[in-house]
Parts: sequence; C-alpha cells; structure tokens
Amino acid sequence: MPTDSLFQSANTLALIGWIVLALSPLSPRWSDRISGLAIPLVLSAGYTALILAFWSRAPGGFDSLPNVMQLFTFPEIALAGWVHYLAFDLLIGAWIARMARAEGIHHLLVLPLLALTFLFGPAGYLAFTLLRASRNLRAPLMTEPRT
Amino acid sequence: MTTLALSAPRFTGFAQLRQDAPLFTTLGIAMALSLLPTLAALQLDDRLFLGESIWVKPIKFQIALTIYLLTLAFYARWLPLAMRQARLFRIYCGIVAAAIIAEVLWISGAAALGTASHFNDSSPVWAALYGFMGGAAVTLTSAALVSGIAIWRNRASGPPDALRLAVALGLVLTFVLTVPVAYYMSANTGHFVGTPADWDRGLPLMGWSRSVGDLRVAHFLATHALHGIPLAGLIAVLILPVQAARRAVLLASAGYAALVTATFVQALAGQPFL
Repeated sequence: MPTDSLFQSANTLALIGWIVLALSPLSPRWSDRISGLAIPLVLSAGYTALILAFWSRAPGGFDSLPNVMQLFTFPEIALAGWVHYLAFDLLIGAWIARMARAEGIHHLLVLPLLALTFLFGPAGYLAFTLLRASRNLRAPLMTEPRT
Repeated sequence: MTTLALSAPRFTGFAQLRQDAPLFTTLGIAMALSLLPTLAALQLDDRLFLGESIWVKPIKFQIALTIYLLTLAFYARWLPLAMRQARLFRIYCGIVAAAIIAEVLWISGAAALGTASHFNDSSPVWAALYGFMGGAAVTLTSAALVSGIAIWRNRASGPPDALRLAVALGLVLTFVLTVPVAYYMSANTGHFVGTPADWDRGLPLMGWSRSVGDLRVAHFLATHALHGIPLAGLIAVLILPVQAARRAVLLASAGYAALVTATFVQALAGQPFL
C-alpha cells in the first residue's frame, strides 16, 4: 500500500485548507466551503476507506493505552489516525475562523490561534475559547455564530 | 371524463420521486452516496475474496439497491394516493428500508472484517446472521410485489392500460422469479454449479463464471424484471394499438419468465451463461 504517498497527499490537502483559512477574509464564504466542508470531507472519506480496509487486520484496540499504542504500530492505521487529526483540526480551524468573524475578533489575532490549532489542535481550541471568555465571560456558551 | 393522453412517463427529477416516495428516495440517494467510502476502500484494500477485491460485492449491492429504491420511488407515482398516505403503508416502507440497510451493513461489514457474508457458516453468529438476512432479502423484495399489485388495481390514477399491465407484471414477476432462484441459491453452498477453471476470471463487470454454471445470472435477470418488462410495455404502447399492446406485454412477460427459467436451468446443468 502506498502509505507514504497517501500521507503526502493528505498533508498537502490539509495545508491548502489552512492556507485558505489564513486568507479567509478575502472570501469568507468560499474559505468556509473549502476548509470547513470540502477538504474535511475528502479527508474523512480517505479515513473511512482506510478503516474499512485495514481495521480488521490491525493489532491492539481502544481499551487500554498499550493496545492503542499497538494499533499505531500498523502503518495504515497510524495513517488513518493522522488523517483523523488533519480532518478534525481543520474543521475546528474553520469553526474558529467563522466564530471569530461573527464576533468581530481581528484576523491578526486569529492567525496565531489558527497556527496553534494547526500544530497542536486542542491547545488552539483552548486558547481561542480563553480569548473569547476574556472578552465576554458568557461568550463561550454560544457555540455557533449568531445569525 | 378527461381523455387519457397517451404519454410516456417523464423523469421530473428527484423532487417528484421525493414527493411520491420520500423514504425510498432519501435512502436511494444515501445508498448512492455511501459508494464514496467503499469505492475508496476498493482502491486501498488488497484483500481478495474468491479472486476479486473484497469490496466488489458490497459495491454491487450498493449499486443494485440504489437502482431498486429509485425504481420503486419512480413507480410510486402510480400507487393510489390514499395508499401512499396510509399509516400502515408507511410503516411497511420503514420495515423494507430497515431490511435494505441491514443487508448492506451485513455485506459491507463482512467485507471490512475480511469474511464471507452469504454462505458464511464459520461461526454460529455468522450462520444466524445469514439466515436472518434471507428474511430481510425476502422482505425488501416484497416491496416490488406490493407495488405491483397496488398499481395493477389502481385504474383511477395508474398508467394507461397496457403500460399498467407491464409495470404491474414487471414488479410482481420480480418477486415471483427472484425469491425461488435466490432461495435455491442460498440453500446450496455457493452460487457456482461446479468448480470454475483456473483461467476463469468471470464476465467483465458482472463476474459471472465463464467455465461453470452460475446461479447469479438468473438471479440478476429476475431482479430486473421490473425494468425489462415495463420497458417492453413502454415500447409496445408507443408503437402498437391498445389490444395488440396488451398482448405484446403478456408475450414479453412470458418471454422474460422463460429467459429467467432458461438461465436457471442452464446454470443448474453446470453450463456457463456465455
């Protein structure tokens, strides 16, 4: 299986998504469609295909840390795990861009948060939520942009 | 009364299908979209089952059930409106939909696990599932029978005479021909009659054996009576006067049933289709 080339393709695709998010003020609607829908969908289809094809052959499982580590010794499943990060981190990045736009948070402030989410997903989400809370304590209770 | 203009049924897009058969239309589209992950898995997975990719079978069923669901949704325009709105009928449609979903989950789940779906007696659970899925298969095929009878009886809002006969016979024969062929096939150990030769890769696309009998030929033709006979009826209605068109439909139906029987007998004799 060409796991290396799939890994490269997935990375490239995700990177394009993050660049589009970084440039999202140019076209909020299209950056949402590309980075918040199309690219995560393609990555999710690839993830699902990897799971369908390789899950039953992989060692380990979800039930203990050694088992999870075992699971990731199987290349195709490690790749699937990586694609999972890429897809969901990008979805969160797109959500951050959307929420920040709706709440008038300046894009220059959003850029480092996107970078943090790109590198260390949950840390970026945490930082964004802390930023929202520091502007308005009740803001994090709103989980979708006000319409 | 109004004169019934003899017009060919026109495809008016998914909007009409959704209006006439909301559940079957939605499930049919979902079934088509579910090809996305299985087609991708087909590219990635190198496991083989009986000489072909393990994903070929789920994909065949997804395609076949998409066509079946959208065909039923297309014919649903000729069901009496009161029937379509009846609570009992909607419950029945829900049961058919559940049987279809169960069938696809079972077949693609077995593929993902790298095991057989049909003819799998490797463990009590798989054997029990196989038996249960036989019931689900009959349940889902019964939707053709129910639609066929209802359309035949619906003189008020059904299609014009000979075409109504063709649609009804096509639907009813789909059930009547498929169930015995499929039952016979399932009661055996596999769909081949004989052991295929080493060189035998099967017919392109369909995968039917070219060296021994293959019961799937008759099964395939039987399930498509609901396309073949109405198509013959449509042509007959367009080119023949009413009485002749009726006779042509009856003849076409008899011919179609004979074709299914012939391919069934051919397979039983161990002869390949082509």
